Amino acid sequence: MIQINELTKVYKLTKKQMMEHKTKKNMMKAVDKLSLTAKPGEIYGLLGPNGAGKTTALRCIATLLKPTGGDITVKGYDTVKDSEKVRKTIGFLTNEIKLDPQFSPKYMFGFFGRLHGLNEKAIEERREKLFNYFDIKDFEDKKIEELSSGMKQKASIAVSLVHNPDVIIFDEPTNGLDIITARNVTDYLKLLRDEGRTVIISTHIMTEAEKLCDRIGIIINGVLAMEGTLKEILEQTQTKDLEDAFFELFKIHNKEEE
Amino acid sequence: MGGTKNIIKKELTRVFTDKKMVISLFILPGVLIMVMYSIMGGLISNLEKDIEAHIPTVYIQNAPEGLDSIIDAVDYNGYITYLNTSDSTNHINDGILKGEIDLLVVFDEGFIETIQNYEEIGDPIPEVRTFYNPSEDYSNAAKGNFTASVLYSYQQSLLAARLGNIEQLQVFHIDRDPEAGVIVDEGKANGKFLAMLLPFLINIMLFQGAMGLGMDSITGEKERGTLSSMLLSPIKRSEIVFGKLISLGILTSLSAVIYTVSVVIGIQRLGGGDLGAMASIKFTPIQIIQLFALLIVLVYLYVSLVALVAVYARTQKEAGSYVTPLYILVMLGSILTMFSSSGEKGIEYYAIPVYNGAIAMQDLLVGELTMAKFGVTVGSLALLAFLITTLVTRAFNSERVMFNA
Repeated sequence: MIQINELTKVYKLTKKQMMEHKTKKNMMKAVDKLSLTAKPGEIYGLLGPNGAGKTTALRCIATLLKPTGGDITVKGYDTVKDSEKVRKTIGFLTNEIKLDPQFSPKYMFGFFGRLHGLNEKAIEERREKLFNYFDIKDFEDKKIEELSSGMKQKASIAVSLVHNPDVIIFDEPTNGLDIITARNVTDYLKLLRDEGRTVIISTHIMTEAEKLCDRIGIIINGVLAMEGTLKEILEQTQTKDLEDAFFELFKIHNKEEE
Repeated sequence: MGGTKNIIKKELTRVFTDKKMVISLFILPGVLIMVMYSIMGGLISNLEKDIEAHIPTVYIQNAPEGLDSIIDAVDYNGYITYLNTSDSTNHINDGILKGEIDLLVVFDEGFIETIQNYEEIGDPIPEVRTFYNPSEDYSNAAKGNFTASVLYSYQQSLLAARLGNIEQLQVFHIDRDPEAGVIVDEGKANGKFLAMLLPFLINIMLFQGAMGLGMDSITGEKERGTLSSMLLSPIKRSEIVFGKLISLGILTSLSAVIYTVSVVIGIQRLGGGDLGAMASIKFTPIQIIQLFALLIVLVYLYVSLVALVAVYARTQKEAGSYVTPLYILVMLGSILTMFSSSGEKGIEYYAIPVYNGAIAMQDLLVGELTMAKFGVTVGSLALLAFLITTLVTRAFNSERVMFNA
């Protein structure tokens, strides 16, 4: 269970960043009073355009960033006060976090397994299971720098799940994957959901959200514009598909910002 | 501290399983240092041999009677041209300036007569003047050789002629066998030479090692995005910091040992084996412990200093430009010891980080490091390193530093 309560995250901008964002304000609100709950046994999808605040929100859940306002609990643990316990519970995957290119997937799997306090036997069992599922066996001893981006992504996913976490946070999990591997990953996420785990993902791919997520939160400019099942969202926006619904909401919320 | 151990193991594996890294960090610099010093040594000894083999061109004006027989007697080897009083020496001076002629020796007119007419105090004494160019190696050597062999022997022979018995002038001998009279603590004498060189070398080598490795292991990992994956593990940030610092410390010490040994081997060839006596330096067990403790805190300080810079830098290039001023400071601190007199220094000097490490090592090598000085040195270095470690840990906890957020 993930509970986000009025999460606000403000970044202080350096002069260079202010130029990049073309703003004169030295503060940027990436997430604004975001509240949501992701429950065990469901896949929650954060849907939004680039820069909407999805990654920031996920990083706050993963204890990498501290909220400016509000709070987050994961399985009852506060992400600031009990950050170590939160990290023990979660499996976090994001594009910017990479595995050391000089090592093999096998070594990295063992390394992170040990950091999570697993013994060698448990690591081997987990490795057997995950490497088989994601077809990593063939290149488990190759250096990560020699792998294709799809292989790398598979290895990263396996490593992030080494400790069999109850809560899974995936930032754009199918990014850069070919269609077969992408299906492989989404299938595995469904499997995890069916095992009763809490899964939260971010995506900007509408079809992925439609097919995969049990509940969807649409986030625009750091604000949760709408939340619900696909059916609920379509009803409320009176649209036929998620893409139309998204643009309806985008029109309203982008205007508000201006 | 299981996390720390795990990280140390990974960091060491990373370096030692990478052939390129082992070669570029340990083997290549060691070989290069050795080759560099050996070539320097070879060139210097070639130069010396060349000077020895050179036959000087010497002009002698007003050569007195009997000088040529002395020149033959001492077997002086040179192209000698004799000049008369009336000959001009201007073109010879020009030649000496240009390095074409090595030496001009001018005897006073009536040299022998003046000597023979000497009777009592106040009578004139003739002079021999030598003209040479000290910036020309050949000329410099020619003057020294001519004076020592020809002129000195000539003087002795004239003295013998005047007094009949030269021993009357000798009165007593001073050290007929100078070597036999040398009473010296071999260890201390060798230590003195090493004491000048080693602290400088060790300081520089340690910092250099820490610099290369630290930037890759911290800024590099940050840049590659591999550090964040470690930040996601359920361990304390301080465990990661210690894992990084300790593994860096181990690698730095190793590279410093390799560099220092290469320098010593290289210099040995350079100095024609003068340092061979190095093995004769004997340390007491306490001195060995002191040296060890000193090196450990120095490594700790340098590694934490580099880590602090590396953690704040966004790219390795940036880290490189931040760390250079520190490198210069460390160099300055250690160069100071090379040229300072060996006089007693006040205890307060031993509280100046970096400099204190160098002077303490210097004292240690000549056996003059007191416990108080050792304590102040190690204490102040360790305190500073600890403070810096706290700052590094704080930076690891800062999302702004880690994620640029």
